[in-house]
Amino acid sequence: MAAMRARNKIRAPRRGFSSVKVDDFESTWNVLSSSLIEINTKNASSLSFEELYRNAYKIVLMMRGDELYERVKQLEQGWLQDHVRKRITGSISSSLVRTQVPADAQDQSNERRAAGEKFLASFKEAWEDHQLCMGMITDVLMYMDRIISADRTKPSIYVVSMALFRDYVLRSSARADPPTTVADVLESTVLFMIQLERAGHIIERPLIRHCIQMLEGLYETITEEESSKLYLTVFEPAFLKTSKEFYQAEGRRLLETGDAAAFCRVSSQRIAEEKERCRYTLSIMTESKILDLLDEELIRKNIEEVVKLEGTGVRHMLDHNNLDGLRSVYTLNARVDKKKDALIRVVNKRIVELGTEINASSIAPPAEKDAEGEKKPEKGKEKERPVNQQTVSAIRWVDAILALKRQFDNVWEKAFLSDQTLQGSIMGSFSEFINLNMRSSEYLSLFFDENLKKGIKGKTESEVDVLLDNGITLLRYIKDKDLFETYYKKHLSRRLLMKRSASMDAERQMISKMKMEVGNQFTQRIEAMFKDMTVSEDLTAGYKEHIKRSGDPDSKRVDLEINVLTSTMWPMEMMANTKDGTVQLPCIFPREIDSLKQSFEKFYLDKHSGRKLSWQASMGTADIRATFQRSSGKVQRYELNVSTYALVILLLFNDVPDGESLTYDDIQARTRIPDHDLIRNLQSLAVAPKTRVLKKDPMSKDVKPTDRFFFNHDFQSPFMKVRIGVVSGGANKVENQDQRKETEKKMNEERGGSIEAAIVRIMKQRKKLVHSQLMTEVLAQLSVRFVPDVNMIKRRIESLIDREYLERVSEEPPTYGYVA
Amino acid sequence: MAQSTQSEYVTLVSCDGFEFIIPRSAACISGTIRRMLDPSSNFSEAVTGRCVLNDMTCVIDREWIRTTRSGVLVTRFTDVGSFAFFSAVVLEKVCEYFCYNEKHKDQANVPDMDVPAELCLELLMAADYLDT
Repeated sequence: MAAMRARNKIRAPRRGFSSVKVDDFESTWNVLSSSLIEINTKNASSLSFEELYRNAYKIVLMMRGDELYERVKQLEQGWLQDHVRKRITGSISSSLVRTQVPADAQDQSNERRAAGEKFLASFKEAWEDHQLCMGMITDVLMYMDRIISADRTKPSIYVVSMALFRDYVLRSSARADPPTTVADVLESTVLFMIQLERAGHIIERPLIRHCIQMLEGLYETITEEESSKLYLTVFEPAFLKTSKEFYQAEGRRLLETGDAAAFCRVSSQRIAEEKERCRYTLSIMTESKILDLLDEELIRKNIEEVVKLEGTGVRHMLDHNNLDGLRSVYTLNARVDKKKDALIRVVNKRIVELGTEINASSIAPPAEKDAEGEKKPEKGKEKERPVNQQTVSAIRWVDAILALKRQFDNVWEKAFLSDQTLQGSIMGSFSEFINLNMRSSEYLSLFFDENLKKGIKGKTESEVDVLLDNGITLLRYIKDKDLFETYYKKHLSRRLLMKRSASMDAERQMISKMKMEVGNQFTQRIEAMFKDMTVSEDLTAGYKEHIKRSGDPDSKRVDLEINVLTSTMWPMEMMANTKDGTVQLPCIFPREIDSLKQSFEKFYLDKHSGRKLSWQASMGTADIRATFQRSSGKVQRYELNVSTYALVILLLFNDVPDGESLTYDDIQARTRIPDHDLIRNLQSLAVAPKTRVLKKDPMSKDVKPTDRFFFNHDFQSPFMKVRIGVVSGGANKVENQDQRKETEKKMNEERGGSIEAAIVRIMKQRKKLVHSQLMTEVLAQLSVRFVPDVNMIKRRIESLIDREYLERVSEEPPTYGYVA
Repeated sequence: MAQSTQSEYVTLVSCDGFEFIIPRSAACISGTIRRMLDPSSNFSEAVTGRCVLNDMTCVIDREWIRTTRSGVLVTRFTDVGSFAFFSAVVLEKVCEYFCYNEKHKDQANVPDMDVPAELCLELLMAADYLDT
């Protein structure tokens, strides 16, 4: 159909209505203005939008848009001034204006509150009406807006009307004296409401929210920049100011009550409240600001005090395991300080305090013991008990630390939300007090020893795992790992040789754990010890085979189980033959044993020529079948498990006729067992009540050179097999002062070696290095194993220069060169 | 407001009495009609859901025509005149456009709508008036 018509011709509009009269505008405006007033009085439903729109459209087409704009403006201004303002100011009651009067009197505040609510309600209503009406008017005048304000730089009628509201309602004066504007009244009323809410009253939030929205909707300027919102320019600063005052006072008040838990509770509550307030009562824009203010005024300025509060502070919470309290302290502190300094300081201090207490309680008994031990060095039995006690206290020390660690781990996880910084600092403090205890390495090793011997019996694998892991955690804290290694080796060798270890699996597990924790180098020697043990097993089997094949028919042959140990890998000081510089002659073995020894030596040296075997009788054990001739004529047999020395002693009595005795000196002369070991063995054979195979005259606890020993034919035991332990010989326990000095001396020598090795390694690589740099590198290299003494490093450098490994290249700054 | 449940369709009435019933959503493409029907303003159109678009006589001159959005097309006009642009024919086309627009909203490669040349001017005026 359209195609039938002429395509390119555009019809001209019909002519007519060509002239437009002025009164046409006036009449149109009259219709329009009366309608606008209808809208203002909310009678819009009788009006036709189309009609109004058409009228406005016409006026604009008449090129009278500007005039329309101005007239609408005037109309609205008049309306606001005459009607709206009157209504608002009418709702301001006198109690609202007296802002200076403190609102402490209850009835007065109630009165003020009621007045305030009334005022806010009428304000809200006025604002909403205005908004709605202006919305409608803007809709009607849309065409005008489009043409007028889009072309020229005039704000839209809506913006103008909002500005009119601001100027003629909000900023109109409410009272002449003192000059108060409606905005001031509004502000003070809202602040008063908030104050009420902070004091725990319930206020009408939506009402305030609406008024705040109004402030948010109004701008200082017509361009309506975000930052020029009346809310931001007028209300927010006032709100923040009163809040600041409030929280300063609140902080003071809470500190005065002196309850850290209450402080945290109230603070967290306030934070939540302010958040909620911003969300539901004020504007979301304020949230971050008020929270910053809260952090600053309430928390940052007070947290230090709170954490330190006597009786209720963090210390108290830690002691009483108050996880909730700690958590809130943590969250508060985390708000204001990323590093949580205040909290960390107190937690660390407390850990070190508790740790030092543990240290002190474990060291206190040894101090008594040392004094006692020095007074009566000869009385072995007296010395015995405290030493055991000390071992127990060492283990208790480790247990106490583990318990403490568990407690803090729990706190850290539950209350501190597994915070990284805190973890680091907690570890630091543990390490600090553990290293304060000079004997920590030894104690820890004893702990492992105890557990690997007895502790893990009847435990499942996972339990053992946990136990060892705990120990390893402590190992992590110990700085002098080489010292620990020494002790561990010593204790391990005892376990291995005396077959005291409860489970080889557990031992291996332990080693692999240490390897993961400290590194390969650390466990190398320990692993070598294990290897020696397996090799020895093979050797024993091979030797037995060899004996069988050589066909020695001697039925009385003694079975031999041998452990061949590589001397560099094992802690030799404990089996050293030398004592106090004098060479101890080897023990004289009885005939039977001696032949066995020689036979094995021959066997071994055939296999590995050029090796030297040195026999460590003090480490061995033997099973003997002993016959006791009762006075009644009966014969009682027992199987005795004794140390090698005890075996040698007992075999002496084979040649002694009944009723005869041997003196201590006799035994000593015929066996050449070192005094120390002899005394201990005789003690276990003759003094210990359950294993009294020998009788001693006189019956005292101490062994004196003049004592005489008899074979005890009346020996009684409920068991067939009797184990006669060597008094204080076999068990691993805390060293006494002398042994300790010895160990330290050895340790220092070994460390000297390590330091020299490190220096040479570094210098070989660098060729030339400044002193301070060399120091740092050495410290870095060795810190895994121990913390070297700076003076010691210096001495080692000197000694290397003396031995011409290094040379001084220059003095300023001191620099060394490597001498190839 | 009485218009709590708005009907899904609205009625547009041309100046010569024809009624077009189209979906509210389509009609609201026009800014003018949308405001007209806005329930919060509560005008009579919003209450009844019926928009009577009266015959529109108006004055045009060149200067104004330049200011319209599609002014390029009509700058050749020098006359001052008046005309009716809500005849049934025009309104039909307007409604067609509403539906077309709604159907192809947010789509690319939409086929052009057929606009008869002789209706161009009226449609342009209508578009300006209706703020479409």
